[in-house]
Amino acid sequence: MKASRLPLPRFSSPLSRDKQDTLLLLASTVLVLLPHTAHLPLWVTLLCGATLAWRALLTLLGRRMPANLVLVPLAVVAMAGVLHTYHTLLGRDAGVAMLVLLVAFKMLEMHARRDLFVVVFLCFFLVLTNFFYSQSIGTALLMLASIVALLTTQLSFQLTGAVPPLRSRLLMGAKILALAAPLAALGFVLFPRIDGPLWGLPDDAHGARSGLSDTMAPGQVSTLAQSDAPAFRVKFDGPPPAQPQLYWRGPVLGAYDGRTWSRLMPRPYRGRKAPQAVSLSVRGEARRYQITMEPSNTRWLFALEMPGALPQLSSGTAGASPELELQASAPVRERIRYDLASYVDFSLQAGDTLDNAFEWLLLPYGRNLKALAAGRRLRQDYPEPMRRVQAVLRQFATGGYSYTLEPPLLGAEAVDEFLYDTRSGFCEHYAGAFVFLMRAAGIPARVVTGYQGGELNPIDGYFTVRQSDAHAWSEVWLPRQGWVRIDPTAAVSPDRVQRGLARALPAPAPFGFEGLGRLLQPDPDSLLARVRYAIGAANNGWNQWVLNYTPQRQHALMESLQDKLFSWRSAALFALACAVLLLARKLSRQGREDPVDRLYSALCQRLGQLGLPRAPDEGPTAYAARVAGAALAPEPKAAAAEFLRRYSAWRYAPPTQPQPHGAGLPTILKELLSRVR
Amino acid sequence: MARLPLGARVFGWLRGRRSTWRERSTARDRGEVELNQRRVYVLPTRAGLGFGALLLALLIGSVNYDLGLGFGLTFVAAACGLVDMFYTYRNLAHLHLRPGRASAVFAGEEAPFELLLANRTRLSRFAVWVDVDTAQDPRHAVDVPAGGGATVVLSGASSRRGWMQAPRVRLATRFPLGLFNAWSYWQPDSRALVYPFPEQDAPPLPVSGYPSPDGIGSAGSDDFAGVRSYQPGDPLRQLAWRHIARLDPSLGGQLVTKQFEGGALDELVLDLDALPPRLDLESKLSRLARWVLEAELRALPYALRLGRQSIEAALGPAHQAACLEALALYGGAGEDR
Repeated sequence: MKASRLPLPRFSSPLSRDKQDTLLLLASTVLVLLPHTAHLPLWVTLLCGATLAWRALLTLLGRRMPANLVLVPLAVVAMAGVLHTYHTLLGRDAGVAMLVLLVAFKMLEMHARRDLFVVVFLCFFLVLTNFFYSQSIGTALLMLASIVALLTTQLSFQLTGAVPPLRSRLLMGAKILALAAPLAALGFVLFPRIDGPLWGLPDDAHGARSGLSDTMAPGQVSTLAQSDAPAFRVKFDGPPPAQPQLYWRGPVLGAYDGRTWSRLMPRPYRGRKAPQAVSLSVRGEARRYQITMEPSNTRWLFALEMPGALPQLSSGTAGASPELELQASAPVRERIRYDLASYVDFSLQAGDTLDNAFEWLLLPYGRNLKALAAGRRLRQDYPEPMRRVQAVLRQFATGGYSYTLEPPLLGAEAVDEFLYDTRSGFCEHYAGAFVFLMRAAGIPARVVTGYQGGELNPIDGYFTVRQSDAHAWSEVWLPRQGWVRIDPTAAVSPDRVQRGLARALPAPAPFGFEGLGRLLQPDPDSLLARVRYAIGAANNGWNQWVLNYTPQRQHALMESLQDKLFSWRSAALFALACAVLLLARKLSRQGREDPVDRLYSALCQRLGQLGLPRAPDEGPTAYAARVAGAALAPEPKAAAAEFLRRYSAWRYAPPTQPQPHGAGLPTILKELLSRVR
Repeated sequence: MARLPLGARVFGWLRGRRSTWRERSTARDRGEVELNQRRVYVLPTRAGLGFGALLLALLIGSVNYDLGLGFGLTFVAAACGLVDMFYTYRNLAHLHLRPGRASAVFAGEEAPFELLLANRTRLSRFAVWVDVDTAQDPRHAVDVPAGGGATVVLSGASSRRGWMQAPRVRLATRFPLGLFNAWSYWQPDSRALVYPFPEQDAPPLPVSGYPSPDGIGSAGSDDFAGVRSYQPGDPLRQLAWRHIARLDPSLGGQLVTKQFEGGALDELVLDLDALPPRLDLESKLSRLARWVLEAELRALPYALRLGRQSIEAALGPAHQAACLEALALYGGAGEDR
């Protein structure tokens, strides 16, 4: 350890040890509070900053801390401010704000050693509360840095006389963390996890989310297309299907009021009853996959067409509506994971007639008369339903229709204006208009919303489906075939279905520079794309294993570990590793001492056992003199005397005789030692 | 006599058992002692218990709000606590303790015991608190660098004359994080010599060789040799009246007597048997101790006679030390406690 010097700050005379420790504590507190500034109201941030600055000033100037008479009114005012901003003192956000203010004010009220521990423990709790808002890898790294800072502060306060420089103290703190990391990883994996909240949560426990809703009005889906936030991630068992086959089915909308499509609700005055059962038959190979869904605050679960069974969630089995929409029992407020198997080849309600077909044929009265007339014409021209479908699709493909994110606004006669005036729209326009025409043509049809496509991450094989992949298509009922999926967007813009929205509708080049545009939508093979994929894979792995480490996953891991760990081979390997480590440690300790010195210590020990221990202040010559006068057998006595003479000659030889060990001194000494018994 | 309540009796019995265990477990340690694993005890401090409560709160918060990273924080903090326990133990373990010098003092003074701590490992030790076992809070903190040593001087209150054993020493440390307290006991094998307390207001030195009935000798009256405190029975002629007049009675002015010496001086022999029998042994030894110091101060060679023990007349610090030692150890007041 170097001599204890107080580290000199760059700009002023050296501060005393107490002041330095307090400033270190302030710095740690600032580090812990920093990530909270993102979500706290501005006045809280400013107040905390002012309080901590005041404390720093008091420390630097050596003044006393303010009396309680000053602090208590300040605290009351702060509490009133929190109440005013959040309208409650008991919610999650209000609680976090109060905790932040408490830590800041506590810094002004530190009088005893005990208060230091209070501040440090409160800071640990603040690190936890940060996880309400973000749990990314960056947050984790910041957490580790905060812990190192807090540990360094704690150990600085324990030092008394010698104070190592700040760098070695930080190293000490980092060493503690480094030693703790493997233990922590073990605890993280092995500690038994339990499901769900232990008691009720406040109302704002989970923040606001956005996603697909269960109504569709023109412009709603195109708004979602702006958001890059992931909706869910999929991992297929086996080769994934091609992009045009990735239709993720969500809410099914059958009721149209002239503007908005919404779900069919049971309407008592129409006497509608939900059918008891819906016939679904599947054929062929099942595609198995696992979906990790982000929280959406709705109940919808998405599945590839058509799932064969209902998925199992941790909260129970999901339910299905008569239109085969999957729903969870409670709104999805946290990331969930479920397995499904879907079949490409299926028949839904296949038969000669459809029960309650009139529900899927209803159209609002007296609106969009041109489209109604066109539909009736279709019915007359094409007796076969499939031919009517193909006629409309042909119309979309060749009738000068365009696919755009910003179509002109539509008025009261939305369908007529779209079909015959504007002829440009997004998927919701096409799906809505198509279903309208089909209903007018006498074919039961409905709008299906959900997602289409997905971006494959080549590194970990996960598909990421984003909110921008939200899509609307339709299903028509054909006799003997059942419900068949028809995507009118495919007729207008095949690129959308084949290659995703980004390819079909490239975002306009920023500031008009084409090159920049290409930069922002890179090729999958470019370096930038690969970096993006790597980051995405890391984040996904983080989500799967750290944030979403459910009891089920732990159980599966334990089972697989059990097979691997509790076998004879691994036990033998472990024993071997331990033996190697111990041996290495012993050898390294021995190798540091001079072999001749080691023999000398052994001799002293041996003579000690014979009753002649060497006193701490006795050199070899004095020791030899004492040994000569002691009562020992002649042979050991002679051997010991010779040993000590040789050792003394070698150890204290004058520098003019640069004679190192000389060949064989250790051997001679060893032989002499063996004679001393 | 009323019987103590059950709880008090159980507690007293436990305390007796604990002190017996302590005495047995740290019998006097000869020479150098190494604080090995069995001698170092570790327990959490109050801050450590608070840390445990914090861990529980973190765990409950993580389970309730399903914070995966919260679990990470909880386990990292718990592991840091465990690592701290190991580090605190290591901060104290494998220190080599050796008693140093213990200088002689007079009864009633604090006897200094020097203790040497040697660190033969490669780990620097910080903030090791050392003090006698009976002290409430340890007062001396040392840092022992790697391969180096440190010295602590502890003081034990002395009461009786004779050999005084070093008090039991307690070493404790809370470094690095203050969550755990590692402590160890050591009974150093050193002792300090305690001389009898020199009597206050002792009669003057018995300069004449002949024992006088009240132990007060009278020297020649040729030279004025200073003043001493008044003893009842001094002739009033010999009181230093001018001196007394100068001392302010409101400050507790005292009577002083003039001392004379000069003339033929007989050999100064300090004899235990010559002292008045009305004094007990301790008082006699006290008086002799005071006379030894006086004689040394006035550079008068003196001899000491204690029963069968006799020390030739001489002068000098070594002679003084030998005489005081003889006085301290008179009567076999040796190995105590």
